[in-house]
Amino acid sequence: MSLVSTHTTLLQDYRLKVRSYDEVLDRNGALKPHWQLLFAALEKLGIKEVGVRNQEIITKLQENGVTYSVYESSDGLNRPWQLDPIPFLIHQSEWQEIAKGLRQRAELLNLILQDLYGPQTLVKEKVIPPELVYDNTGFLRACHDVKLAGRHQLVKYAVDMARGPDGRMWVLDNRTQAPSGAGYTLENRTVMSKVLPDLAENLFVRRLSPFYLSTQQALARNYGKGKEDLTIVYLTPGPNNETYFEHAYLAAYYGYILAQGDDLLVRGGNVWLKSIEGLRKVDIILRRIDDDFSDPLELRSDSRLGVPGLLHAIRMGKVAVINPPGTGLLENNAFMAFMHNASRHLLGQELILPSVATWWCGQVKEQNFVLDNLEQLIVKKVNRHRDNRSIYGHQLSDAQLDQLKREIRANPTQYVAQEEVSFSTTPAYVDGTIEPRFAALRAYLIGTENGYEVMPGGLTRSSPEAGRFTFSNQYGGISKDTWIVGDEVEHAQEHIVLPTSTQYRKASSLPSRSADNLFWVGRYGERVLATNAFINIVLNALNIHQNYGGQNEHIAWLLRSLTHLTLTYPGFVVDGEAEATLLENPIRELNDLVLNVKRAGSIGSSVERFLRAIKSVRDQWNPEIWRAIDLVEGSLVRIKTLKKEQADHRAIQKDLDRLYGRMFTFYGTVSETMSRDNAYYLLKSGKLIERILSRVSVIRSSFAFRNPEYVENELLEALLNYHHLLGRFRNTYRSQITLSAALDMVLMEANSPYALAYQFDALGRCLDRLPGSQERLNNAQKAVLEATAKIKLANVVELCEYDEESNFRKNLDDLMGEITALTFTASESISNLYFSHVAIQSSFFGGGNPSDKHEV
Amino acid sequence: MRYNLIHSTLYEYKQSVSSYHSITCLCPRTTPNQVLGEFTLTVTPEPAELTERTDFFGNTVHYFSIQKPHRQLRVIAQSSVESIYLNPELPIVKSATCREAAGAFQMDIGLKSEVLQYLLPSPFVYWDDDIRRYARDCFPADRSLYESVVDFCGKIFREFTFDSKFSTVNTPIKTVLREKKGVCQDFSHLAIAGLRSLGFPARYVSGYLETLPPPGKKKLQGSDASHAWISAYIPGIGWCDFDPTNDVVPRERHLTTAWGRDYGDVPPLKGILFSSGRQKLRVEVDVLPVG
Repeated sequence: MSLVSTHTTLLQDYRLKVRSYDEVLDRNGALKPHWQLLFAALEKLGIKEVGVRNQEIITKLQENGVTYSVYESSDGLNRPWQLDPIPFLIHQSEWQEIAKGLRQRAELLNLILQDLYGPQTLVKEKVIPPELVYDNTGFLRACHDVKLAGRHQLVKYAVDMARGPDGRMWVLDNRTQAPSGAGYTLENRTVMSKVLPDLAENLFVRRLSPFYLSTQQALARNYGKGKEDLTIVYLTPGPNNETYFEHAYLAAYYGYILAQGDDLLVRGGNVWLKSIEGLRKVDIILRRIDDDFSDPLELRSDSRLGVPGLLHAIRMGKVAVINPPGTGLLENNAFMAFMHNASRHLLGQELILPSVATWWCGQVKEQNFVLDNLEQLIVKKVNRHRDNRSIYGHQLSDAQLDQLKREIRANPTQYVAQEEVSFSTTPAYVDGTIEPRFAALRAYLIGTENGYEVMPGGLTRSSPEAGRFTFSNQYGGISKDTWIVGDEVEHAQEHIVLPTSTQYRKASSLPSRSADNLFWVGRYGERVLATNAFINIVLNALNIHQNYGGQNEHIAWLLRSLTHLTLTYPGFVVDGEAEATLLENPIRELNDLVLNVKRAGSIGSSVERFLRAIKSVRDQWNPEIWRAIDLVEGSLVRIKTLKKEQADHRAIQKDLDRLYGRMFTFYGTVSETMSRDNAYYLLKSGKLIERILSRVSVIRSSFAFRNPEYVENELLEALLNYHHLLGRFRNTYRSQITLSAALDMVLMEANSPYALAYQFDALGRCLDRLPGSQERLNNAQKAVLEATAKIKLANVVELCEYDEESNFRKNLDDLMGEITALTFTASESISNLYFSHVAIQSSFFGGGNPSDKHEV
Repeated sequence: MRYNLIHSTLYEYKQSVSSYHSITCLCPRTTPNQVLGEFTLTVTPEPAELTERTDFFGNTVHYFSIQKPHRQLRVIAQSSVESIYLNPELPIVKSATCREAAGAFQMDIGLKSEVLQYLLPSPFVYWDDDIRRYARDCFPADRSLYESVVDFCGKIFREFTFDSKFSTVNTPIKTVLREKKGVCQDFSHLAIAGLRSLGFPARYVSGYLETLPPPGKKKLQGSDASHAWISAYIPGIGWCDFDPTNDVVPRERHLTTAWGRDYGDVPPLKGILFSSGRQKLRVEVDVLPVG
């Protein structure tokens, strides 16, 4: 029995801390068996090991780039997603009842939606007050005839729940527009099963994947019109949205195309995706933008996230948008007060799941009750708004209570009040111990042809502070994996229907905007590397000069080349005294070129743009690549902190070396793991174009004018170094470096990746693989072919010729000028061929502008 | 009285417009007082699509899109409307008093459901104490609501100056009240705000008014304009129109196109275009009596 006594320690400790009703206990105060099993598993691991695993979770989530952005946070974007190593457990037998109640709620809300955008019997028969429709910012008049085919208008639905004092799960809130969290839920499960597989022992946790599969199948079957090759778009507001991570994550998981509003257009009543193969007809849109942003023509005219004409396309039945715009109607808080009546009226049933008692102040009796009991209530505005937070009566001073009462009396219809219920706490891992914390569970449903299906699990969020009941991720809530546990292995899901052929699309379309971003991932990535490599060469030259002295003319040339390369004028391209001062102490300007994130052309700035482009196409990266991206991000953080100290250049050089290696890790992972498809070739094209431009720039700025031999020798060595050809040169020539020999190598080498001939060959091959390049050469291919020929046909001896008087090497300068121009032409042609060029969208609202009215 | 209506809108763009989506609200309604004969909507360049639907308020609206680059867009709405007033003497006596009316809208849930959206603030119509105070004197509790609205519209007509240079679509009602200037749209919004602030439902009516040329002069082409006025719900009678801009009760010379909570529900033309340049707009309206 020694086993039992050790098992009870963690649990006993925990039970001592429990202050209110807790998840581990049933209504009689007895320990629930499944929690006992979990604690036994925790015990077996030991709390120290749980801490270690917790750290692993943090690392894993960070490596996978799982983030949640917080509005108005000081660092702007992304905060890491937080996952508690201790899951939230519900037994299968209880869950079945809950699921039944959730399905009933879904059916009910679906009927309410159809009624209120239709005959409005609920209003006419006085079941709900008309304010719930007309004083509801979610009621969109333009959507009264926007209908989805089939039995569901509400297809995706999420419910927030918590366990009430009676031991049952209570409904707290409805999410009906574009519920968030299902992607994080999946990622939580993925991470948990990797990091803490031992916890699930003997618990028979229900799998989540069947639910996601059902979602996929329901969409294809109900809205695919029997088509084989469906185009399904996951419509995101973009990388600045707080849950962008999961948009990309779910799009990639489902195999849908992640797109933003301006990737889509309406033509002929259809919605089209602007892809690099041209326009592709869209069948289904899974929407993550809010109702009122989805069509600037008929809804919010200032929306830049939606698709003009989308409502028209839905009305024409040409596209299914899930959920259809207008469903946000149900998110109005006043509905909570009328759910029972609506259920009796529409379903003829009592609600299975209880909800928090809610009073709408638009009714006299209810208003009086609320005013009399304000101290015990939570007050909310009926219309949701990001700025509206719940007001807890007991936290208010007398003056504040009076103020609130005045506000309620002045606008009673705008307020609801809810009973402040004490919900259950659940075990949470906090600073090395297990503590009770309030928690709420978000459950997910999907409408299928057989009715609603409930995800066997969900997203549990626990409060970051003891004794508080707030979970929103915006306010630091911590998520938990949610386990529906049974007593035996589940069989029911064994006969999973495999995805039909519709799930396997032959070629995934690449939206033009994504193509654009991928190209710039390549360009900025290579810009980081090119600048990094050249600064390194400059710093080495400075170090040698510092140690051994000697002439420093070549350093001046290198510094000027750096300014030309990074286009950070005036930089080192100055005359006279200014030049002398700068050369005396170039470190300050060099530091700035590394650290000043605000300065275009600096390494910091290029890294930042590189990462921004990467994040705009986050569905394109697999976990291995994400790990490399995370490393680069670490370098950016370092660059930003270095700025504050007065960094010496050796420290900077060390960080540059690290960044250099990390960028190559990224390249390597991309090259070893990415499919050779359009995305890959666009990234590579961007990389090659930038590489060509950076090399040509240095050749031109260093050698367009002839220098004395002792200077030129240093510059040649730097050049060969920059092209990774110094070793090869020495092996081949074993003699003094000459310009003609060096040029022969950096221009003509067909097998050296930094030689121009090699790069143009590679660029040509990339372009051949991209769409629309088969029958005739496109403009990009033509430019590359011409540049390739010019390089390969160049006569290096002629290139080295110079004017005796001016020392100007006209042939070399001309050739480099032409190559630069052709490379820019190729870049622009790629852009014209494949990227969307979004003209500015403007809305107008006129034709009857008052200034045009002139009657009296 | 029969009219031919021509509402012509011309947009000229500095830069080529690549894509254009629009919704027009130009088709006159059929009401107890008017019957729509024919209606045609001509869009140049040829739209890729042109469809008709009925909006939430029962107005007929058209959606069209143009998917080829263009520098000029012309939208011409032509219609023939028969205007009929069977009982020119309105049974004003039937009107409830202001007190009765205000009570009815609160107590009669059926009535309230029907008119609630015209009682609440809407995107272009919202009010404060100044607006409420401005309206209040015109609505003594024991006077008929109908007469009170007439009085209120008269007050606006007398105290405000018509000034087509002063306001834009987005000029707040408060500014209009302070400056005592504006156009029909502003006066209508103000009248609606005043009515709603006191608990009386009111809606915005867009349409046309036949103007008469100065005596002895021939009527000029394009000299008419689109117009706006209000409709108030009078318990005992129903929706009744009033024109605060001209201090008249609309009769056969007022032709109704559409109604909604405010201008935002019924702009004659709205659209989303993709272009980088500026645009110039020209509207011409003819209200031509036939026979």
